[in-house]
Amino acid sequence: MRILVIEDDSEAAAYMAKGLREAGHVVDHAATGTDGLFLATSERWDVMIVDRMLPGLDGLSIIQAVRAAGILTPVLVLSALGKVDDRVRGLKAGGDDYLVKPYAFAELMARIEALSRRVSSAQPETRLKVEDLEMDLLGRSVSRSGKPIDLQPREFRLLEYLMRHAGQVVTRTMLLENVWEYHFDPQTNLIDVHISRLRQKVDKDFDPPLIHTVRGAGYSLRAVR
Amino acid sequence: MQSASLLRTTTFRLALSYLGIFTVSAIALLALVSWSTSMFIEWQVQETVEAEATGLSEVYRDRDLAGLSEVIGQRVKQDIDGRATYLLMGGDGLMVAGNLRGWPAEVGDQLGWARFRVLPMGSLNPPSEVMAHAYELADGYRLLVGRSLADAKRVKSAIHRALGWGLALTILLGVVGGYFTSRHMLQRVEEMSRTAKLIVGGDMTSRMQLSGTEDEFDSLAQSFNEMMDEIERLLEGIRTVSDNIAHDLRTPLNRLRSRIDLVLLKPSDCDTYRRTLEETLAEADNLLATFNALLTISHAESAARLERFEELDPARLAGDVVELYEPLAEEKDIRLTCRAEAGLAIRGDRHLLFQVLANLVDNAVKYTPAGGTVVVAVEVEAGGDVAMEVADSGAGIPAEAREAVLERFVRLDANRSTPGNGLGLSLVKAVARQHGAILSLDDNHPGLKVRLAFGPA
Repeated sequence: MRILVIEDDSEAAAYMAKGLREAGHVVDHAATGTDGLFLATSERWDVMIVDRMLPGLDGLSIIQAVRAAGILTPVLVLSALGKVDDRVRGLKAGGDDYLVKPYAFAELMARIEALSRRVSSAQPETRLKVEDLEMDLLGRSVSRSGKPIDLQPREFRLLEYLMRHAGQVVTRTMLLENVWEYHFDPQTNLIDVHISRLRQKVDKDFDPPLIHTVRGAGYSLRAVR
Repeated sequence: MQSASLLRTTTFRLALSYLGIFTVSAIALLALVSWSTSMFIEWQVQETVEAEATGLSEVYRDRDLAGLSEVIGQRVKQDIDGRATYLLMGGDGLMVAGNLRGWPAEVGDQLGWARFRVLPMGSLNPPSEVMAHAYELADGYRLLVGRSLADAKRVKSAIHRALGWGLALTILLGVVGGYFTSRHMLQRVEEMSRTAKLIVGGDMTSRMQLSGTEDEFDSLAQSFNEMMDEIERLLEGIRTVSDNIAHDLRTPLNRLRSRIDLVLLKPSDCDTYRRTLEETLAEADNLLATFNALLTISHAESAARLERFEELDPARLAGDVVELYEPLAEEKDIRLTCRAEAGLAIRGDRHLLFQVLANLVDNAVKYTPAGGTVVVAVEVEAGGDVAMEVADSGAGIPAEAREAVLERFVRLDANRSTPGNGLGLSLVKAVARQHGAILSLDDNHPGLKVRLAFGPA
């Protein structure tokens, strides 16, 4: 993927660029708002990572300008401002996701992955299918190898999110934000318990296991490791 | 105190404008009184003249011209102070009787009322204004009966004098009174501003003096003092918190440091390095979580009710939190149930309130032994407030410690070994305060019952 990083803290940018390049991405970096806007509008990118507070032109203004120019590239807003209203403002400006500093690198990677896929699968789906696991979004039913699986409403949404992001890493925070829709900090690993319940129903009596734990990052739904 | 600044005070300006209004109305009153007095006196004079003329006309009817001139002569003699004016004149222009030298030019040939100035015969008085009535008698004879207006003039000028003095006194009293009132006000205001300057200068213990009269200055001073108490309390809080942060973060930072230190002491294999780094990362994440909790608390403490607050269904919040924690509770063999009244509404931030409920349920599940119960309830109180309650069957918190556990970093000694940062209930307290909700901790016999009562949405 071609990723544009607009970040004024050179150390943070170098750390991010190093990680992203090691993961196989092509990274370009702009240190000021004006340079960032120029690069964002003059070249094609798969994902842009934009810091909110920048010299010259702030991050939200860049996003607004980019969107005004008709560029729909997914944007991840990066910020030290972590209150809910900051988040709302970032998303209102045209950002697609919001990550608060300091962040875990796995979290950043997972979110970039999710953002880049978002564009390609824009058409509405009625059925999701991963290997022999099938989900009927209209009938709200799930089956594996033809055998129906009975899920609670929340388990259904959890599995739906995992299936929509099949093959990608999904972090616990992403699950909390998207499946439970609350921005909060659970003091216990609640998500793990929910996932293990889901595993009981989806993986226990079937082979191969589909829900995998990705150490230090989160979960991934895929056929093979 | 400078007189210039005194003249600029609101009170003095207010006093002056009141004085102005009062003076204008006093002058208007004076004009009215003087006008109606002179009207009254003139009317009285006319009455007297008419009565006299009636008497004279009777004399004229009974005793003809001779009798009339005789009576006029008598009356002129009786009129020692020269108030009355009579003139009986023949058709040839000769005076028959009376005390005027000649027929006044101001009256001329006209009959009826007239006013003129006259120097009464044999009188030392200055010329005085006379009000007179002219009558026509038979054979061209004419009679003029009049009365001096000197008395009326005297009464009028007496009234004018009295009112003038009154006005002068009013203005004087007004200015002096205004001066003293403003000086009194200015003194109190300056006293307050002196106290404020002391506080700005760093003396946080300074407070405004109350005069004890319970006037508006006292109530202002009272509010100011309460504000200062709150500020002092907050400052004290900040001081305590920074001390606590320094103390509580030093422990994990030390752990972090010594862990790295130890592994670097001698060469190790890759796995050891990896494990150490992972442990260090987890420790750093814990530290960050603590910082985030502190930030959320201080944000909730500093921000008042936000415009972002929306109407929320407390039953939905309770249901969601129970649903989220239910698998965890089940794993610990605890019955976590929700007992929520539907159709209620509160105003607030759904993420913060969810965090509050999550903290409470997390605590409840953590401190309740296996086989216990945790109930999340939503109900309407007797007073109409909507209450959210998390009740467990654990060890509870001793009554004397219930206030303390709401403070930052405070943990009960018995729980030191369980994971936690001592910020959960502080956040509950801060968010409750931000939402205007009343937080109470009670005994659940056994266990702890934490209740948040929200005012009407």
